[in-house]
Amino acid sequence: MTARHELLYDTEAALRLVDHELLEHRAPTEPTHAEVLSALGSPPSASPSALAALPSLLERVTAEIQHVLTSLRNSRDALQTATVEKIQRTSEKLKEVTSATEVAATDILDALDRAQAHIDDLDSADEANDHEKARASRDLLREEIFGIMGSLQFQDITTQQLAYASSVLNDMEERLLSLAKLFDPAAAFSHAGVGAPDPRTFDPNATVTNADQRQALADRIFEVTR
Amino acid sequence: MKFLVVDDSSTMRRIVVNSLQRIGFDNTVEAGDGREALEKFDPSVGFVITDWNMPNMTGTELARALREREDGKQVPILMVTARSVREDIIEAMEAGVNNYIVKPFTPQILKEKIDALMSMAAAG
Repeated sequence: MTARHELLYDTEAALRLVDHELLEHRAPTEPTHAEVLSALGSPPSASPSALAALPSLLERVTAEIQHVLTSLRNSRDALQTATVEKIQRTSEKLKEVTSATEVAATDILDALDRAQAHIDDLDSADEANDHEKARASRDLLREEIFGIMGSLQFQDITTQQLAYASSVLNDMEERLLSLAKLFDPAAAFSHAGVGAPDPRTFDPNATVTNADQRQALADRIFEVTR
Repeated sequence: MKFLVVDDSSTMRRIVVNSLQRIGFDNTVEAGDGREALEKFDPSVGFVITDWNMPNMTGTELARALREREDGKQVPILMVTARSVREDIIEAMEAGVNNYIVKPFTPQILKEKIDALMSMAAAG
């Protein structure tokens, strides 16, 4: 059981204990609103022994409430720390998706501009019957088309980044539901019902940045170990 | 030489297959995950290029499974993946991967790694 789950469990246990204490000391039947108002306007009818027990009862209830508050505070801190970190990381990933998409789109547009220029060169080479120039232009055109295909790798990486973001949202939903159930175990909470992505299908650290440095690290490790 | 290209992203499979064609390898077979790759693997496959993160069976699980098969012990395995932390790279190596390409990659890197692995395989 994780520390977070233990805290939630403790909190729930404390809440149930307070519930139990209150039930134990409550009158067999709940007074009506009118009865309460009437009791407030008239001398107390409770027996002296019940009144004598009241301070110790209040003391116990106060202690339980303090325990609950401490547990809630601890639960909140644990949830907050984990949640804030994950949300910040997810936010960074989503920003990276935007920038990766933009970089890829710009690269592809640049390549298309260059491809257009190569086609113009091909036309002029045809008019001049310059086979050498035509062949060179065709080769350059092929390079550009091939480069465009390479630029599309961003799709695989951003898919993984979005899968990570989706997994964090699912996790948040689960935590919020657990918290809500803690306060009202009997209530039926609706679940978004969107399945979390299979963690085996994405890398939470997937990125389009620093590919050269990351490749160099892989090369070094394989070189050293070989 | 037949290449088995394994990736759950059809975009990536197309990019890898296209890159292979460009450097002169037209004989390719594709699989969407490790399990499908194992089904499609046979002695005619001379080279495996695999992603890591895939459903059903990951790239490292595929590498381990291939190394346990008599006909898969020697086949060169090149991993092409977005994973690039030190521990992952070492884990891939321990699983039986022969070389490693980090996504996004250039066709030049792919060619270099294939050439290097083929030279090693030829040298025995």
